[in-house]
Amino acid sequence: MNARVELRGVRKAFHEDRPNVFWAVDGIDLVLPAGGVTVLAGPSGSGKTTLLTLIGCLARPTEGRVRLDGRDISGLPEPFLAALRRQTFGFVFQRFNLIRGLTVLDNVMLPAYPLGPPHRALTRRANAALERLGIGHRAGALVESLSGGEAQRTAIARALINDPAVLIADEPTANLDTALSLAFLDIVSDLRAEGRTLLLSSHDPLVREASVVDRAVELRDGRVVADHETRAEPAG
Amino acid sequence: MMVQTPILALFMADLLSLLLLIPAGLFALQVLRHWDPSSGHARQLRLEKRTHLVAAVLGLVFVVQLLALPLFVHTVDRMALQIVGAMCAVGTLNANPWGLPTLLLRIGLFFLAAAWLLMHRIDKRAPDYPLIRAKYGLILVILPLATLTAGIQLAFFLQIDPDVITSCCGSLFSQGSESVAAHMAGLPALPTMIALYGTLGLALAAAAVYLRWRRGLLLFGILATLSFPVAIAAIVAFLSLYVYEHPLHHCPFCLLQPEYGRIGYALYLPLFGAAALGLGLALTQAFAQRESLRGVLATTAPPLVITAAAGLALFAALAAWISWQSNLILLGY
Repeated sequence: MNARVELRGVRKAFHEDRPNVFWAVDGIDLVLPAGGVTVLAGPSGSGKTTLLTLIGCLARPTEGRVRLDGRDISGLPEPFLAALRRQTFGFVFQRFNLIRGLTVLDNVMLPAYPLGPPHRALTRRANAALERLGIGHRAGALVESLSGGEAQRTAIARALINDPAVLIADEPTANLDTALSLAFLDIVSDLRAEGRTLLLSSHDPLVREASVVDRAVELRDGRVVADHETRAEPAG
Repeated sequence: MMVQTPILALFMADLLSLLLLIPAGLFALQVLRHWDPSSGHARQLRLEKRTHLVAAVLGLVFVVQLLALPLFVHTVDRMALQIVGAMCAVGTLNANPWGLPTLLLRIGLFFLAAAWLLMHRIDKRAPDYPLIRAKYGLILVILPLATLTAGIQLAFFLQIDPDVITSCCGSLFSQGSESVAAHMAGLPALPTMIALYGTLGLALAAAAVYLRWRRGLLLFGILATLSFPVAIAAIVAFLSLYVYEHPLHHCPFCLLQPEYGRIGYALYLPLFGAAALGLGLALTQAFAQRESLRGVLATTAPPLVITAAAGLALFAALAAWISWQSNLILLGY
């Protein structure tokens, strides 16, 4: 379950080799130990989302290396990268990115299809994940009918369907009120207790200062400007 | 020059190949000079990203080159009908000095293209690009060969004059001639048979040893590759005689004619396939330094070895059947 992520000299440019080149991430060295909750904080445009996509193998760095448990993953050929992404990382996107027209259950099961598990077992697993997050009763509903909190829980269930060691959530509370944000932090606490590595990006003080957070890394202009160990509740 | 659709197709295939191979050659130089997987330098990451695109393009080029050899042979064979004195592909190839060199270069290109494709297929199955240097080093061998082939083939087709009388296969493979082909035709039947079945037997034994103990892949690859020139010499020296049932007709191209049941296709397809697989496996094994590649070879090589060995066995069986059922008596007469 544990996964140690290490970044060495990571940079990411957009519009590379053009006059309007933009370095979204500009030389980051970071070690995320296995287990625990790390929050990437910082203003809009500080590089939080880009950094999450680099760690989660959704994008490749322009320079530098990302390692998982000591193994370089940023240079892996695409089929290996896709397999690693599926099995090691779960994503909760800022806008959840649920697929309209499909039910909650179908959305949750979707990331597992490329791995080819037996359909009955997969359905059972997806239902269990939804029950655990308190939205089992909505399994058959179309996702466009969900409330913000339900949509987020569906997105979390989908992220967990392949039992990833690392869960990445981009601005998870951006669209939630305080009560739902606190409910989300309870879920984070449970996942942390399971030994998962959680990586959140947020500029919400409620998340940054939550007791479940082990570490807050502050970014600005694509660089780390502060790195705080916070007093987290003991895992488990 | 004779303007025909297959000739234009061959020109286009070579032109397209060179247009893609030249930038790939420049990329290969960068890979050989700068590839360093331990580095996080932007140049290394760019090479990693681009190698996928370049390899996809090269895959297309080499598939085209694989197809170009049978198209070339078929074309020159068909052209024999239009050239005075020619009776099969050999007559066309003899129409000017560029014909046979073109054929030999095409065969060389066929094998290198097949070997590259096999190496690439195996390399793709490992996460750490274990054959990257070998693959791009091979590109630097293939690029000049492809350029030379395109140039010589162009000269060959441009200089064909259908009104100039050419000589048929009987003259090229005549034992009195000084050509390499004539020397092959003059090889004594029994020692050549021993060499053929000996080489094929050793290759099959090496395949069996590899499949049983997972040892000797390089040896099998070398023997399977070596089987090709030995088999061609055998075809010219004695097998063709058995097919034609004529003691002086050594042509390896007339075997493709319908009057001989197009038996040549049955002989050449497994032979070319087995030798190409053998060369690819030998080159891959020669560069198998990394643990990841050994792991990939452990799963990918056995079916390839079985396929190549089946090709060699099929060739051996056909050769034996041809000799056995022929009315020509070459030995013990």
